[in-house]
Amino acid sequence: MLPKIARGVHALSIILILMFLLAPVILVFPISFSADAYVAWPPSAWSARWYVALLHNEEMVTAFRNSLLIAACVTVITLVVAMPAAVALTRWSFRGQDALISLFTAPLLLPSIVLGLAILVIFAGYGLVSSWPGVVIAHLVITLPYALRVLMTGLGTMPSFVEDAAGTLGAAPWQVFRQITLPLMTPALVASAALAFIVSFDEVVISLFIAGTQLKLLPVSLYHYVESWTDPLVAAVSALLVLGTLGIVLIVERAIGLGKAVSK
Amino acid sequence: MTVSALEANDAKSGGGSLLSTLLLPIVLVNILVFVAPVANLAAMSFRSAAATGAMNEGFDLSTWSSLISDAYYWSMLWRTVWIGALITLVTLVLSYPLALFVSRATRAKALLIVLCISPLLISAVVRTYGWMVILGDQRFLPAVLRSFNLTPPRLINNQLGVIIGMTEILMPYMILSLLSGFGKLDATLEQAAETLGAGPFTVFRRIVLPLSMPGILLGCLLCFVLAVSSFITPKMLGGGRVALLATEIYDQAIVTLNWPVAACLSVLILIVFGTALLFYGQLSKIVE
Amino acid sequence: MYLEVESLEKRYGHLAPSVADLSFSLGQGELLGLLGPSGCGKTTTLRMISGLVQATSGKIKVGGQDVTRLPTYRRNMGVMFQSYALFPHMTIAENVAFGLQMRKIRKQDIAKRVASALAMVRLEGVADRKPRELSGGQQQRVALARALVVEPDILLLDEPLSNLDAKLRDNMRNEIREIQQRLRMTTVFVTHDQTEAMAICDRIVVMNRGKLEQIGTPLDIYERPATPMVAEFVGRINRLDGQWRNDGAIAVGDSLVRANASGGAGRVLIMIRPHRIDLEAAGEASVGSPEANVVVGTIRHINYVGDTLQYAVATAAGLLQVEKATSSATDPFQPGDSVTLRWKTRDTLTFSSEATG
Repeated sequence: MLPKIARGVHALSIILILMFLLAPVILVFPISFSADAYVAWPPSAWSARWYVALLHNEEMVTAFRNSLLIAACVTVITLVVAMPAAVALTRWSFRGQDALISLFTAPLLLPSIVLGLAILVIFAGYGLVSSWPGVVIAHLVITLPYALRVLMTGLGTMPSFVEDAAGTLGAAPWQVFRQITLPLMTPALVASAALAFIVSFDEVVISLFIAGTQLKLLPVSLYHYVESWTDPLVAAVSALLVLGTLGIVLIVERAIGLGKAVSK
Repeated sequence: MTVSALEANDAKSGGGSLLSTLLLPIVLVNILVFVAPVANLAAMSFRSAAATGAMNEGFDLSTWSSLISDAYYWSMLWRTVWIGALITLVTLVLSYPLALFVSRATRAKALLIVLCISPLLISAVVRTYGWMVILGDQRFLPAVLRSFNLTPPRLINNQLGVIIGMTEILMPYMILSLLSGFGKLDATLEQAAETLGAGPFTVFRRIVLPLSMPGILLGCLLCFVLAVSSFITPKMLGGGRVALLATEIYDQAIVTLNWPVAACLSVLILIVFGTALLFYGQLSKIVE
Repeated sequence: MYLEVESLEKRYGHLAPSVADLSFSLGQGELLGLLGPSGCGKTTTLRMISGLVQATSGKIKVGGQDVTRLPTYRRNMGVMFQSYALFPHMTIAENVAFGLQMRKIRKQDIAKRVASALAMVRLEGVADRKPRELSGGQQQRVALARALVVEPDILLLDEPLSNLDAKLRDNMRNEIREIQQRLRMTTVFVTHDQTEAMAICDRIVVMNRGKLEQIGTPLDIYERPATPMVAEFVGRINRLDGQWRNDGAIAVGDSLVRANASGGAGRVLIMIRPHRIDLEAAGEASVGSPEANVVVGTIRHINYVGDTLQYAVATAAGLLQVEKATSSATDPFQPGDSVTLRWKTRDTLTFSSEATG
């Protein structure tokens, strides 16, 4: 039992830390409604002019569309590649299995700046830099480990005796997969798809290296814009991105319970 | 064991060709975007750039030796390591009470966890921009400080800005690691200590802290490694005035186009990683 | 009295109280059992005594001193938890030394007292091991040593035996009793197992739904249960509905039963322990006497459980369970056999019908 004052100080510090954690995400909202030509606090007047400007900014609109398309492609390919691997790595046991899993998740441990540079050096020789396939393939290096981990966790917590039971009831292996395994791993599929999409959409370092200057991607364009301009346009984009991410989080939370998945 | 279960096991152990088919795509992608590029990069650090920017034929140690003899790189390495360590420490100090609070929350626990973790899902560019909006001259925090008649220190385009921004960026990783470590904390252990005469502070020092040590170490490793290798936040909040290993790699690769030097610096970062990992392994053993 | 609990109450929000109006006391060196089904409030009571749970109202006094509002760490009580709660990051010696360190004992003395505490629970060789390297029984001894080494005013045991297997449980139970008596340690022992409580407690508090049902010696509790709940909780028992008659007998079904209790009026609940009923082949029997009840019946069903035979016997009073020790000398009865049942009038327990709840 702590004395009252200590508990008060404790509660206050928790609130302050939480505010610190969320401050940058929250403060872009008021700034995005500034009527000023540059970011300053407090804004002299409020308006939606930067949202309008955003709609007319061809580079941002193109970059946004490109990023969406790339993220969609990356998500599909990630699932197609990761799902068979996850099934293989959880339903079989063979020698060197742990080593393989470590190899597949190792890219998460390496700095993305090193990965970006390494891929750039190789891709430059094959003309893949600044190309759509190049960017999509490069993004796989970071989306695959995430997706593989989530899918393997999902499959691992799913008892294989359910599949055995289906087998005893006369289901062929393919039917077992379609009718038992696939439906049961839907939450993990949703989670890994969402994660792959967000990771690809948000990726900036690898994109900086591989997308070059011709292929516009949103995080890269934002980065370059901030380097040269001080107006609140980026705040408007940021606010929209935060809302979009919030939407995805809510969908995933509804589907599988993100909080539960993480706290386990 | 039922007959079909035996059959299923047979199928699993005997299906080698199916197994290879399932694993083939990921192996190919892994080699294409990970194994080959990283090996190639490591090899490239043993080549050298000609004055024209093209690479000289053959392997040599000249890039490495010029790097090692240059005090500029040594001071940069040192700066990278101590800023990384400082960021890790601040992140730990801020994350620990929050993570402990979240792990003990009974109401709205899921919401709290989502609040702590979801910043991870927002692009580092956006979150760093948020800090530019807060810390920049004439912007949020200086304005608030001025309204209390305080003279704000310079908060951006220096190391302080990088440290503040990086701390916030890395907090979700630290919180996640700590939360996973708090799994070992059983409320009855604290109660047992209390019945043996330990006051709240002693319970924390003797029971809670030692038991959460594995989570602390994991979080520190993760944050240090990320702090040392991050590039976007130091670039945006450092305003080009805080030269770190990661920012130098980018400049050498994209601006100067000296790939062998960039490759050397990349290997250097990996060496820092390996050292951190060794430390982590040793400390973990002591904690166990 | 050394430990006094006075009208203790614990409420969580607006729910019915977990513990209500609970009073009991125990003398120095006494071992008191808190017995009851799960959720009866016995563990909450123990936690209030230890200070881990704050009482909503009421008083707890130790040696005449009110400790109700004292934080746990100032109460000097030794608690042994159901899960043992050994600190996993400390060695066995460090675990046992913890409470002594909190009391700022000198280092040399700590070492001595830890060694003698471990010797007391016969665990000399494991001082430098970690708890996870010990078996459940060993961990439990460590927990006991850790609770006792600080020389607590009161020892509180929360279901200490429930995580052990049956054989170990009996040994440990006797060991706890032996140590408790040697140290003359005032002890409160929470359990849901009536055999455990009867075997080692000086007195037992039976609790149900947060309230005290009865307090007394094991003999009191078993032979003179205050309520039907107590009678049913401490052992198997037959339960029949009857009606008091003016002559002091009780009409049960189509037969009459006598009890030692003075007569009453109206409906009555009677209870008889299955092993207190004698069983004879029909015909051998004489008529009932003032000290004995005699009822005839037919064997309906037999359970053979090794050391006892359990018969279900249909009688005019209703279906009665009868339990007999098996013997190689006599053959058991068979279903369909006619039998005479006989039991002493003092073995007929009576409860006024309102008490049945």
